[in-house]
Amino acid sequence: MTGSADFFEDLFRGLLQGTPPGAVYALIALGFVLTYKTSGVFNLAFGAQAYISAAMYFKAHTLWGWPKWAALVVSAFVLAPLIGLVLERLIFRHLRTASAVSKLVVAIGLSVALPELFNQAARFTAVAGRQITGIMPDGSSVFYDPFGVYRFNRDELAMMAVALVATLLLAALFRFTMIGLAMRAVVESPRMTEMSGINADRVSAFAWALSSTFAGLAGVLIAPRFNSLVSTDFFTLVVIAVAAAAVGKLVSLPRALLGGLGLGWFIAVFNTFLPRWSGDHTWLRPFQENLTPSLPFVVLFAILVLWRAIGREREASDPLSGVDPPPPALAALERHPKLTLFTRLFGVGFVAVVGSVVWFRAGVLWMHLVTTAVIMAVIYLSVTVITGMAGQISLCQGTFAAIGGFTIFQMADRFNMSVLAAALLGAGVAAAVGAVLSLPVLRLGGVWLAIATLAFAFFFDAVMVKFSWVGGGTTALLTGTRVPRPLIGPIDFASDRAFLVLAVVVLVIVSIIVIQLREGTVGRTLTALRGSEVAAASIGISAARARIIAFAVSAAIAGLGGALLSMHQQNVNYSTNFGPVNALFWLVIVVALGARTVEGAIQAGAAFALFEPLILKGDLLVWILRGEDHLPGLFPLSGSWRLVLFGMMAIQFARHPEGLVEHGKRRSAARINRWLEAREGAAS
Amino acid sequence: MTALLAASGVSVAFSGIRALNDVTLRVDAGERVGLIGPNGAGKTTLFNCLLGILQPDSGRVMLNGADVGGWPVHRRARAGMGRTFQRVELFSDTTVREHLLIAERIRNGSGALWKDLIGRGRPRPTEIAACDEVLELLGIDGLADQPVESLSLGQSRLVEVGRALMTGPQVLLLDEPSSGLDRDETQALADTLRAVQESRGYAVLLVEHDVSLVADFTERVYVLDSGSLIAEGPTAEVLADPAVRRAYLGSFEVS
Repeated sequence: MTGSADFFEDLFRGLLQGTPPGAVYALIALGFVLTYKTSGVFNLAFGAQAYISAAMYFKAHTLWGWPKWAALVVSAFVLAPLIGLVLERLIFRHLRTASAVSKLVVAIGLSVALPELFNQAARFTAVAGRQITGIMPDGSSVFYDPFGVYRFNRDELAMMAVALVATLLLAALFRFTMIGLAMRAVVESPRMTEMSGINADRVSAFAWALSSTFAGLAGVLIAPRFNSLVSTDFFTLVVIAVAAAAVGKLVSLPRALLGGLGLGWFIAVFNTFLPRWSGDHTWLRPFQENLTPSLPFVVLFAILVLWRAIGREREASDPLSGVDPPPPALAALERHPKLTLFTRLFGVGFVAVVGSVVWFRAGVLWMHLVTTAVIMAVIYLSVTVITGMAGQISLCQGTFAAIGGFTIFQMADRFNMSVLAAALLGAGVAAAVGAVLSLPVLRLGGVWLAIATLAFAFFFDAVMVKFSWVGGGTTALLTGTRVPRPLIGPIDFASDRAFLVLAVVVLVIVSIIVIQLREGTVGRTLTALRGSEVAAASIGISAARARIIAFAVSAAIAGLGGALLSMHQQNVNYSTNFGPVNALFWLVIVVALGARTVEGAIQAGAAFALFEPLILKGDLLVWILRGEDHLPGLFPLSGSWRLVLFGMMAIQFARHPEGLVEHGKRRSAARINRWLEAREGAAS
Repeated sequence: MTALLAASGVSVAFSGIRALNDVTLRVDAGERVGLIGPNGAGKTTLFNCLLGILQPDSGRVMLNGADVGGWPVHRRARAGMGRTFQRVELFSDTTVREHLLIAERIRNGSGALWKDLIGRGRPRPTEIAACDEVLELLGIDGLADQPVESLSLGQSRLVEVGRALMTGPQVLLLDEPSSGLDRDETQALADTLRAVQESRGYAVLLVEHDVSLVADFTERVYVLDSGSLIAEGPTAEVLADPAVRRAYLGSFEVS
């Protein structure tokens, strides 16, 4: 009998313990659903907004010594809604009729750019290894034990109280106020609402300010639970909120609330019981060690994959969106033959000059950087395939690349396999994983597909990497995941120069493959699907089949690139290279520079590796000015400016899905075309 | 003789409301058949059942004598059902010729990855010629290199027809092709559709609101009202039927 009494006591304790974080998850999920409902934006930047408020609170209270209430007001009730208003006014208001996927990309760009922008603007540096103080005096050291089972500290009580008050206020707002009624109308159709005399812009601005306040509050409240203050923790928080919001299919506020609380309870109960069971059943132990941190992602993935209703939920779109003018067409694709000749000559010349400078003049460091650029270009071609060609957002390209890296590590370590053969094997394994992953997520499409890939990336990060047959386990922690350079007959690629040649050869081969696919049937099929899925089906295209192919090919390219990067660094370096948050930046930099073309991927690779040393550190300027003494005092700039810059550029995705640089190139090509034609016309 | 496309006893209910009630319809090879009815009569529902977008609660859909009930949309398309859309659905960022080429490539070499890799995936000159032939037939060969975003509604409809033709359909389902067009444009579209149908010989099922287009274009017609068939037969006879006129509240004249 005592056993069952213990069981219920433990269950009760777990539920109590899970309530405070669950309340915060609910808070952020409510804000998330609010934004999604009123503006159709799947705001992954919510985590970034929560981070900014938490960091502002820390700065004001801990560093400047402000009283807690003042710090709270400034961070959660002034700064947070202000950011929401600015984002709505400057960005999302203009994207109301854009597709949900392009709004998602904009939000991803923001989630990369915003935290760094704040850090730079407020001269804030990430805090690690210290307790972050909450909003209550002695918040973490004064306890209350109402049921004799679990002791709540003051911060936890504050979390529950704030979430409760916020929820009640929100409910009252919807029920009793004009703006609440208007918000409900805007959800249905902003255009229709405007026709009935309500200013939809104001309503959506209000909704943004409100939901951003929720995000800010959640950030300040949850910060004491982390032992650090870094933006990536808060990104994980938003993924949890997405899981909670998904319970309500993103549209139901009460269900999102329940989802948040439920997730808090589930995690706490799971943490209570799993260690005990695994004491009896040893086979559960690896799961216990690995699964617990990734529970929210597993839940999210399971909801997306297993809950059939969710895929059928159409994305929020205005029934009257058809009356808005369509987005402008891409600039002309036709080029004058002379222009084509000129750009080709220029391209060849540029590559020749840069190549010879690197070959003859570059030292070890620059050789290394250029090789990284070439390899990143290979990896980015995988984004070209899945995003540029198939129009899908995959947030697990880093995982596919890591699979390539881990495959060569394991094969070389265990079987002494040739690394080049292992790299091809790694590409194959990645392709298989990509194809298998695409099967359950295929029917999702659009935003849900992106979120499922994100959940998969976090799941791989938290669970799979820890297995010894993947990431090397504890031995790898000590010795690292070492990867040798390849050796073909007399050519030893241990030499950096030889390895650069190998990387270039791989890049050329992969580029040719991508071009062949784009110009061939696969590319045409994907173009059709991207343009109109129903019309594609009407001419006999199977969307499922085409997407499986796209996923597999993209994963294979990423896997190959990841293997190459691991050889280059002679180590897999999983968390610095391939972590889930890194892969977000990959997407951002590729869509910023051009996701549709091979050149775009190469530019993105170069920007990834070389932008920081050349531009931000000022090396290019030093070279132009001939000497470091002439360098303005502004330099060297912080490397995080590249996150801000490319994140901001990715915001343009909604209007220029071909990428800003590509857009600029096409526009100038059109101009030169006109000029050439006019000149010919004059001559004849 | 087995019908080319046949629906028998098709019923559909949406949360208790009967959208289609035991509807039976057939289209024979080379025939031009109309499907008319007032708003909400169930035309679109029937159309979606035929194409596989919607699964009927009961009844069967046969194509060339084969039960295609469980087939997804794209498989029915490959088996010979082409269609156009009421709200134009074109592939953005492509030219007119590219549209037809996509369909042509799908018919010939369905997405073979390795063929693309060895460079066999690019359109062959014969395929490009086939596309240009259809464009000429439709009278839009002058637009071949235009991006589809720059086309008028009437031109877009023709591109849709051309795209459907490239799949080599046995039956072409036209979904309200006159919607959004004025009288002259509709007339021009009707003339083109007839000329192309006569030269290619496929069957047509025309779902249409504009009765004059139906009277002009079809040989036989089915009339739906409130989910049930109320009349069928040669177009001129059916349109003269008082019951049919009543269904339309006398809102049209047959010239």
